[in-house]
Amino acid sequence: MLTPESARPQSTGAEASVRYLLQRRFTARLLPQVRLLVEECAAREGLAEPRRGEFVLAVDEVASNAVEHAGGSGRLVLRRTDDELECLVIDSGPGFTEAVIPELLPGLDGAPTGRGLWMARLVADRLSISPGPVDGAMVTLAVRLF
Amino acid sequence: MGPGDHAFVSYDNDEARWDVLTAFTRLGLARGERVIVFPRPGLSEEEVLARLDFPHRTTATARIEGQLVLSSMRRLISPDHVFTADRQRSRLREETAQAVAEGYTGLRTFIDMHWVPELDADVRTMMHRESHAEDLFTGRPYSEICAYDRRWFTPEVLTAMAEAHPRNLLEKLGALRMERTPDGALRFVGEADAATKRPFLTALELALVQSAGAGRLTLDLVPLHFLSVGCATGLLTLVQDASGHHRVEVRCGPVQLRLLHRLGATSIPRLTLSEVARPC
Repeated sequence: MLTPESARPQSTGAEASVRYLLQRRFTARLLPQVRLLVEECAAREGLAEPRRGEFVLAVDEVASNAVEHAGGSGRLVLRRTDDELECLVIDSGPGFTEAVIPELLPGLDGAPTGRGLWMARLVADRLSISPGPVDGAMVTLAVRLF
Repeated sequence: MGPGDHAFVSYDNDEARWDVLTAFTRLGLARGERVIVFPRPGLSEEEVLARLDFPHRTTATARIEGQLVLSSMRRLISPDHVFTADRQRSRLREETAQAVAEGYTGLRTFIDMHWVPELDADVRTMMHRESHAEDLFTGRPYSEICAYDRRWFTPEVLTAMAEAHPRNLLEKLGALRMERTPDGALRFVGEADAATKRPFLTALELALVQSAGAGRLTLDLVPLHFLSVGCATGLLTLVQDASGHHRVEVRCGPVQLRLLHRLGATSIPRLTLSEVARPC
């Protein structure tokens, strides 16, 4: 499912070398398919294991967070910049900030939430959370390819 | 699935069977391997290609460049007309060598086993080939999925073939299966994610209760294609809280190993993580 140009995230002047690899809407049912497509794109762009598996893990955690806390669905954009593989996960939920990510990993007896985003931030080379283009939130995570 | 893997999958649903074929083909192309698909005889190439192209980018370029090939068992063993295991093995070895010589990182084949009735081949001869195919895979950049239609092959053949293949796959993306290995380990196959977390943890909890008397349990995560943070955390919590165990061993791949370490596996004294290398 391609996303129309008008629905793409706002571009900036620095995006000349951005190449769009994948754009999908997802629900819980579609997450296995989304993981497969992200893995395929990551392999095609040269991201080797185990980093490729960790990138798929991080994307899944962010997308699953959108499914669980932002109305059951979201939109994923995967793109290639000069030296990064960058994934945007956009939802229409109430919005959130990086404050929800625990600074330290909660112990196994500790709080049951936040581990997924904590892990996504740990394995990504870059992760940020901002307001979505219309509402909700947009999580951006990226890994370096070289 | 990676180089050196020989896998069994069965299906009885003409829609669901495309999941494995599509995933195997697309990941192989992305990893720079040549992919030869032996679809069910009688299917049109147009339908196979249309299925492979859904839901993402076209495979047309791979087809034009020769990276993706649609073939048939009849064509593979040609000019021979009668299937023999030696002829098939020899041709697959040639195809693997040729793929590497042409610069591909390896060869993977998807074989729908309906070629057996198509060639009027002897089922027992096919079974012998499937049970003695190690030399095709050991040390070679070759992987193969053999897809059996449960509506055509007998339960006895299916059971024997499932046992003959080192790997058994699930027919649908996102599915999870638990099974016991011959050495008593609890093995997880498929994907342990948010949707399958409950059965994943229930099976683990049950296995811990059942093994409390013995004091030890082995878990095999290697056939898991995906392990989420939630499932990994649940595993660690259950192992930490288990009573009566002095040792729980987890066999896992490199991504799972790093995940479990990062989630605090080393803080659980009874837990041992063993990284299992891929066969090739």
